[in-house]
Amino acid sequence: MIMACDQLDTLLPEFFDGTLTAEQEAAAADHLATCTDCRTVVSELEGVGSLYRTHGRLKLPNDARERIREALGLNES
Amino acid sequence: MTIAILRADVWLRTSPRAVPFDAMDNPVTKTPTVSVALLFDQFADGVYTLGYRILGDRHLAEDVVQETFIKVMRSLDTYRGDGPIAAWLYRIGYREAITVSRRRRETPLAPDEMLETGDRPITSVEDAVLASELTRRLDAAIARLAEPLRSAFVLRDIEQLSTAEVAQTLDVSESAVKMRLARARQALRVDLKEYLA
Repeated sequence: MIMACDQLDTLLPEFFDGTLTAEQEAAAADHLATCTDCRTVVSELEGVGSLYRTHGRLKLPNDARERIREALGLNES
Repeated sequence: MTIAILRADVWLRTSPRAVPFDAMDNPVTKTPTVSVALLFDQFADGVYTLGYRILGDRHLAEDVVQETFIKVMRSLDTYRGDGPIAAWLYRIGYREAITVSRRRRETPLAPDEMLETGDRPITSVEDAVLASELTRRLDAAIARLAEPLRSAFVLRDIEQLSTAEVAQTLDVSESAVKMRLARARQALRVDLKEYLA
């Protein structure tokens, strides 16, 4: 199976979910091995998730955490 | 106050990812249980992130966390384990955030108001400056997404729920989740190109 750029685009959700069929996965790997543009796209799309996982996940502030734990009765033994 | 509990075997059966927790023995049934306290420790930051990304307001997001866990506390003992607990819990949080959003008539998010570096670990002044610029850009970019795309992206790519869990949380099909994710990732890729080289 030979995969074109637009076919890979269509399958990107499954590609990132790891739910491609074995045949699709092999075709995607073959395509990416020879297509610089698609490699860049895949790398950048992976980078988006990585950026947000590293810098975009927020931490509930400690004062709010304690206030909410108190309100919920979670600090009681 | 009585703390609602969830049987640990239900937790394990319905949570495909390994979730670290210390099971306690229910003194009556001797069944290992998971308390609201453990759920709070595991999911409070995630619900806060989701609430903040939907509402763009730190204090409203804190209210979302509190209301979410009040509802979790009230309903945990009726949870039957008929779906992943992460999706069940995030769904409560998502609905709470959407309710708050509608209540205040859905004002657009202001990117300049999105920076909340105090919520993130900062190790030095230099790091803080760099982090400020990056997080400002990340906040502004995600705030420009339509809410359905933003929520799907937060749940899948930041909180790392499975596509099926995101679909259950948002009450949409998996194909709709995939479409929203594709559009969100592509828009963010274009917006953040300089950070992705």
